[in-house]
Amino acid sequence: MPFFNVIRWVAWKDLISEVRSRETISSMFFFALIVILVFSFSFSMDQAAARELIAGIIWVAFAFTGIIGLGKSFSAELQNDCLEHLQISPASKGAIYLGKLAANLLFMLIVEVILFPMFVIFFNLDVVEELPLLLLIFALATLGLSTVGTLFSAMTVQIRAREVMLPILLLPLAVPVMIAAVEATRGALHGDPVSLYGNWLRLLAVFDIVFTVLSFWAFEWIMDT
Amino acid sequence: MISALIKWMQRYEGWVGAGGGLCILAGLYLGLVASPPDYYQGEVVRIMYVHVPLVQTGMLAYSTLFIGSLWYLWKRDPIVDNLCHAAAGISAFFTALGLITGSIWAKPTWNTWWTWDARLVSFAVMFLILVGYLMLRTFVDDPEREARYAAVLAIVGFVDLPIVHFSVEWWRTLHQPLSFSMRGVSMSKPMLIPLGIMTVGFSLTFFYMLMVRTQMLYLDHLLTAKKGRLLSQAHLSSDVGSSPSSLSTP
Amino acid sequence: MTGLYLRWSALVIAAVVIAALASRYFEQNLTSLTPEEIVSLQPTRVVRVIGLVKGGTLRGDLDSGHASFELAGRQEALPVEYDGPPPENLRELKTLVVIGSLDPSSGTFLAHELALVTNYGYVVGAYLIGLLPLAIFLFGMERKVTFLYREIKESKLYEPETAHHVDTR
Repeated sequence: MPFFNVIRWVAWKDLISEVRSRETISSMFFFALIVILVFSFSFSMDQAAARELIAGIIWVAFAFTGIIGLGKSFSAELQNDCLEHLQISPASKGAIYLGKLAANLLFMLIVEVILFPMFVIFFNLDVVEELPLLLLIFALATLGLSTVGTLFSAMTVQIRAREVMLPILLLPLAVPVMIAAVEATRGALHGDPVSLYGNWLRLLAVFDIVFTVLSFWAFEWIMDT
Repeated sequence: MISALIKWMQRYEGWVGAGGGLCILAGLYLGLVASPPDYYQGEVVRIMYVHVPLVQTGMLAYSTLFIGSLWYLWKRDPIVDNLCHAAAGISAFFTALGLITGSIWAKPTWNTWWTWDARLVSFAVMFLILVGYLMLRTFVDDPEREARYAAVLAIVGFVDLPIVHFSVEWWRTLHQPLSFSMRGVSMSKPMLIPLGIMTVGFSLTFFYMLMVRTQMLYLDHLLTAKKGRLLSQAHLSSDVGSSPSSLSTP
Repeated sequence: MTGLYLRWSALVIAAVVIAALASRYFEQNLTSLTPEEIVSLQPTRVVRVIGLVKGGTLRGDLDSGHASFELAGRQEALPVEYDGPPPENLRELKTLVVIGSLDPSSGTFLAHELALVTNYGYVVGAYLIGLLPLAIFLFGMERKVTFLYREIKESKLYEPETAHHVDTR
């Protein structure tokens, strides 16, 4: 099968099964909702404090929900030996990786787009002008999380204690993504000019490119039987 | 039966270890007795002679792990995997000691145990990646797969470290303007000599430790594998003796 | 096994010798007297005095390296005339070590050098925390390797396997 068809079919397969079962997105969504509630109770915030803290809260919530989605992405393949079929299939492993990455990115972005209005409502944010820029930041940072996350999800699905190992491996590596995402989001919510936080967007882009290439190459070693 | 690399290690480890031990002893004498105290920091500057080599050796060990991981993915030699495993353990150990001694040095010098400086955070992240690496290795059942996963993790983590360093540096200049001088000690010659000797000594000791630990892991795996094989052979032969029909193959 | 213990005891002895040398060096060079001891003993040679720069007494031109101040101990204060390189650490209400000798006629202390308070025990603690775990870690590894080689030798696991195969057939 040609390279791009493999990407499309793997992503399509994940989307179809998600549309039928609605497991991943709904569990991510409700988990994130609970995280928001817990945060709003633990910091009793007025609007000024909210503006300082909200970027961090948003990204902690997104990162943890992302980890749930990433973990489910490959553990769903364990049923009916789907994983082994992916491993022994003659299709390019890199294409399988990109398909999985596309599906994970899409799930996480959907959840983020649903969740962000909740943040706006619960914490009284004023975001109308910066919406396109925020979406760009979300897309770049989520891609950063899911490149390494998809690789590690494939790695941890075949070992013991996989629910614990995925965050332990992923979060230290995602330190730059988290810093850059929080700083850029804070800048955008403050209404700062883009030139003030453009560096962070560039850092996110560099991270995305480096780790997409690296994971694309490394995935072959992970999926080897 | 013992592989060529292990034989080579057995032959030369004594020289490396002796060299490392002598250099560290000489560096201890120079650092604690013969070198002058710093004009600004006083005697506390002597902590540098143990802290800086520990940190540098931690980095050297991670670089060894990175190169070893690439080598493993290329050649798939199980002894190279033992080497990587050994380097990761030693690197985690050195990094932890480096962070602790750095903290001890920072308290009297900058009046704080910890600061969110780029170098400190990158080292903490490196320590976490190495701990994750060692944990991952304990959770995989198949040794060949364990080696592959670990090699991939080591490579990805190594590539991540410079990015972590840059991001924390930018982040710090944004949020915490330097409240105290991060100026390094102005190095005079009587300080550089003990520091250099200690660094050489710690690097040699690291190579010695690497040789010893690689042998340890290799022999351990070898013994387990061999015992397992003998056990299964004994099991098989007794099985065949008691009920020849059940397991017989043409 | 004996070789291992011999090597490590030689290393420990060398470390102890260096520790003894270091402690002797620091006792000779870095023991400081208090202002009370200076007043009562009236020493003539160069000594080190530890004390607090008394508030409101620091006078002189610090940039050119001349200063006068009073160094306070527990009960008494010692007048000090400093003349040396421009001091960076000299501030009021700071604990310092001044190095120099007492002028017996006037009772002022003529200092030519200033030093920070030595906390040598702290430095030694840092060295121990750095090096002791390292030594224990390495010793454990070496001992295990020695054990493993001995086990392999004694259990004859590496005799050729072919004989065993022949027996079972």
